[in-house]
Amino acid sequence: MVQVSRKTRAARGIRVVAPGLSWALIILMALYIAVPMLCAFAFSIYVPTAGFTFEPYLESVRDPGFPGALSLTLLITVLTVVGLLALMVPTMVYLHLRAPRWRPIIEIVCTIPLVVPSIALAAGLVTVLRSMAGFGRGSLPAQVSQLLQNPDLPVVLVGSYIVLTLPFVFRSLDAGLRTIDLRTLVESAHSLGASGATVLRRVILPNIKGPVIFSAFFCIALCLGEFTVAVTLGYRTLPVWLTQIAGSNFRASISMSLLINALTWALLIAMTVLAGRAAPARALALKGHES
Amino acid sequence: MTPTVATRNAPSAPGAIERAICRIHSLRARAERRTASFWGLIPFLAFIVLFLGVPVCGIVLSAFRVADVNEPGNYVPSLANFAASFRGASWDAMRNSLQISVIAALVGGIVGLALAQAILTTRSRKLSAVVTVLTSVLANSGGVPLAFSFIAAVGNAGIITGLLSLTDRGFTLYSSGGLILMYQYFLIPTMVMVVLPTLTGLRVEWKEAAASVGATSWQFWKKIALPIASPAILSGFVLLFGASFATHASAAALIGGGGVPLISLRIDSGLAGGNLAGQENVAMALGVNMIVVALIVLLIYMPLQKRSLKWFK
Repeated sequence: MVQVSRKTRAARGIRVVAPGLSWALIILMALYIAVPMLCAFAFSIYVPTAGFTFEPYLESVRDPGFPGALSLTLLITVLTVVGLLALMVPTMVYLHLRAPRWRPIIEIVCTIPLVVPSIALAAGLVTVLRSMAGFGRGSLPAQVSQLLQNPDLPVVLVGSYIVLTLPFVFRSLDAGLRTIDLRTLVESAHSLGASGATVLRRVILPNIKGPVIFSAFFCIALCLGEFTVAVTLGYRTLPVWLTQIAGSNFRASISMSLLINALTWALLIAMTVLAGRAAPARALALKGHES
Repeated sequence: MTPTVATRNAPSAPGAIERAICRIHSLRARAERRTASFWGLIPFLAFIVLFLGVPVCGIVLSAFRVADVNEPGNYVPSLANFAASFRGASWDAMRNSLQISVIAALVGGIVGLALAQAILTTRSRKLSAVVTVLTSVLANSGGVPLAFSFIAAVGNAGIITGLLSLTDRGFTLYSSGGLILMYQYFLIPTMVMVVLPTLTGLRVEWKEAAASVGATSWQFWKKIALPIASPAILSGFVLLFGASFATHASAAALIGGGGVPLISLRIDSGLAGGNLAGQENVAMALGVNMIVVALIVLLIYMPLQKRSLKWFK
């Protein structure tokens, strides 16, 4: 979700109350934003019995569940980003180049995830996977269900994370492809003898670098923090693991959650700044469901 | 572009028939291309069917059927799950979710609106640049880290709880009020994000123009500013309501199984107790209810959002 207001208008607008009162409200809001994070940070570096220490961070890393959760999360993140771009970049280019008639339909399809809360999507996946497994051991549906839920390679999580990013990725890539003269680029590249794959890699991709990076960052941020689908389907990703160790060692879980949060925010900040530079007039006011 | 145009031109131009034939050929080619163009979308559509279509159909189908009492293991179509979702603990959860979402949206909407106006009033370019980035980050933040940092601040053993002795004052984070307080973390930035461009677009010149024809400040806001800004403001409230209603992760990390009944947490427990007779299917009905609410939210939000952009192109 990105909202880019035109910079030239930034200093305008109508004053209703005194600037002093406005600053007071802004400072109050800044406190509301900062205090929980600062408290969490204090929790992670100060232990009443031991004083200042990095022990909670070390404890979280030493937890026996950590390596597994980290590697699972990283694997899912990499697969989701690669899968998302491999699916959506060619599809969007194709849509703009060859099938513009289908664009409104694809746009609606890509908006549907916004009306399916992630807990509902997870519940739907659970019921489908359960009833497929219910066909009995060795039957085809049961085998597909097992394949999708492979604990080492949870295809079902990768697929549902791609679905959750679609509303944002569609809009971002769509806006990016509108700003370039795709047809001319492709036709001139073809006339110079470039193959389809070369055109995609060396002509189109460099021209939509901004939206592609935006999509990738948004997707990474989602994969690192997503909790609902993972916990409902019974996977121990980092956020799920955090809630599991919180009961026994809250300081350790809060240290790791701060690190993940910092990384997510950095990605989202980079993404927003980038999107602001790439498409200043294009506003995307959408709210994701990953809260 | 159409054949009728070609026939109308036919008597006057000698090459018209050839041209008409050409046109018909190109039309056929276009129709063929239309079907051909569909094939390139197959991978995408197959993916959508598998990971979005199947689960959504799954949840809807499960919601509309119950276990057959006469033949164990078989199912019959029924509305009993929906009836059950509007009764007892499920209804409590749904009602509480709706209530929390309305209050959270009102609080977040009003504070966000005031904050957006405050940001404008400062006329600081630096601030508005920071706000643009921060709102889109915070509106997308949440989940487990949000719940944890609120526990660290105002939870039972939280730092602020200790400093202000909040527990003695009757405050607890693990309540509907606590959830509403926590949701503001992403709701207020969302509201600012939605209304700031519109409020920024209300020009000082418009107010001056109104004043020059004798309008009071009150009349300007009532007759000009509010009608222009109200679609954006309303769409903000609707979006906040939808966002709080759909929230699961941060609430689950904070409340877990017990404490505050919420529709999203109720689906959780329904799924976990799947072997308990019928509970899983009631959870599916609750899921369908959530989808319906989210759909209504989007159907109200999108036209309002479109209308709010009308004045600022």
